[in-house]
Amino acid sequence: MLEILISLFALSIGAGFIGSISGLGGGVFIVPALVILAHMPMKVAVGASLISVVATSAGASVAFVRDGWTNLKVAMVLECATVTGAVIGAYLAGVVPTVVLELLFAAMMLQSAYFTITKRGDDILTKGDALAERLGLGGEVPDVDGHPVHYEVVKVPQGGALMVVAGLMSGLLGIGSGALKVMAMDYIMHLPLKVSSATSNFMIGVTAGAGALVFLARGDVATTIAAPVAIGVTAGALTGSRLLPHLKVEALRTVFVIILVLIAAEMGWRALSGI
Amino acid sequence: MSQLEENRILREWTPILLRSILIAAMIFLIVGLILDYTFAPDYYVQRYQAVQHGQLLGKEKFGLLYDRVRAGNPHAVLTIGLFVLTLVPLARVAFCFMLFIRERDYTYVALTAYVLAGLIVGVLVGSVG
Repeated sequence: MLEILISLFALSIGAGFIGSISGLGGGVFIVPALVILAHMPMKVAVGASLISVVATSAGASVAFVRDGWTNLKVAMVLECATVTGAVIGAYLAGVVPTVVLELLFAAMMLQSAYFTITKRGDDILTKGDALAERLGLGGEVPDVDGHPVHYEVVKVPQGGALMVVAGLMSGLLGIGSGALKVMAMDYIMHLPLKVSSATSNFMIGVTAGAGALVFLARGDVATTIAAPVAIGVTAGALTGSRLLPHLKVEALRTVFVIILVLIAAEMGWRALSGI
Repeated sequence: MSQLEENRILREWTPILLRSILIAAMIFLIVGLILDYTFAPDYYVQRYQAVQHGQLLGKEKFGLLYDRVRAGNPHAVLTIGLFVLTLVPLARVAFCFMLFIRERDYTYVALTAYVLAGLIVGVLVGSVG
C-alpha cells in the first residue's frame, strides 16, 4: 500500500506544482498522469481530478479575494453559465465513450498550449455596454501609482456562451478550464488581466464543485484514488504558489507548451489507437 | 453596502471560511488514509487494483455513512472528507447569496440562487444517473 500511496502522492504533487506555476491548474496535468502513468480509467481520473480542482481552487482564491482583485458580480453572472455547463458535462461524462473524452482532452491541451504562448492585452474599457452597466459589472483596479481606475465590461452574453463551454469541458474532463475562462473574460469581455485571472480562480472551484457533486452522487469517485490525489495536488499547488515569485516562469513557458503538446499527442494517440 | 464594506467582509470572512472547511476535509482524508494503512492495507491494494480495471465504483449510502465512520471504516472517513471538500464551493456561493441579500440586490440574489440550485441539481442528476 505504501508504494501505491507514494506513487500517487508523487504524481499529484508534481501535477499540482506544475499546474500552479504554469497557471493552468492541477487538473490539466493530473488527469493524464493518472491515465498514462497510473493506468487508471479516464472516468476515474476525471472524478479524482474534479475533487482536487475544488481543493486547490479553495487555497488559490483565498489569496485573490484577500488582495481584492476578484470581481464578485462578474463571477456570479458567469457562474450561472459554467455551473449549467458543468452539470451537463459531468452527466455526459457518464455516458460519453472514453475515446471521445480522450480526444476532447487532447484538444483542450492544445487550447491550453495556445493560451500559454499567446500574449494577452490589458486594455481597460471606460464605457461598458448596456447589459453590463445594468448589471453593475464594472469595478476598480489600481494603476501603476496605486490610484483607483474604473473599468467597464462588454459582451456579457458572448462571454457567457464561452463559459457554458468551459463548464461543459470541466464536467466532462475534470479540469478547471481556467484557460477558457480567462480567454472569455480577457478577449471577449475586456476585463483587466489580473481581474480576469482572479475571478477565474474564484469561479473554478464552483464549476469543478458542480461536476464533482454529480460524480460523487453517481458513485464515480474512487475514494482510494481521489483522497491521496486531493492531498497531493493541494500540497503541490501550495508549494508552487510559494515558489512562484522566485521562479523565472517566462523561461519555463516553452517547457509548459512542450509538455502540453506531448500530453495532447499521447491522449490523441490513445484515443485513436484504442489503448 | 459600499464596495469598501463588501471588500472588507469578503477579505476577512471568506478566507477564514474556506480555510476552515478545507482543513477539516484534509483532516478527514489524512485520518482515513492512516486508518487504511494501519488496519486494512491489503484491502486498499485490492480496491486500487479493482479501480484500475474499472470496477468497484459504487454509491456510498448516505444513511450508512455515519455508522460506518463511527465504526472507524477508513473508506467512509475518506468519503466524508471528499463530501466536506465539495462544501467549499457551496459555502462560497452561499456566502455570496447572504451578502447580496444584505445588499438588497435582488438581481444578484436571483443569479446566486440559480448557481446554488445548479449545485443541488448536480447532486440530483448524479443520484439518478
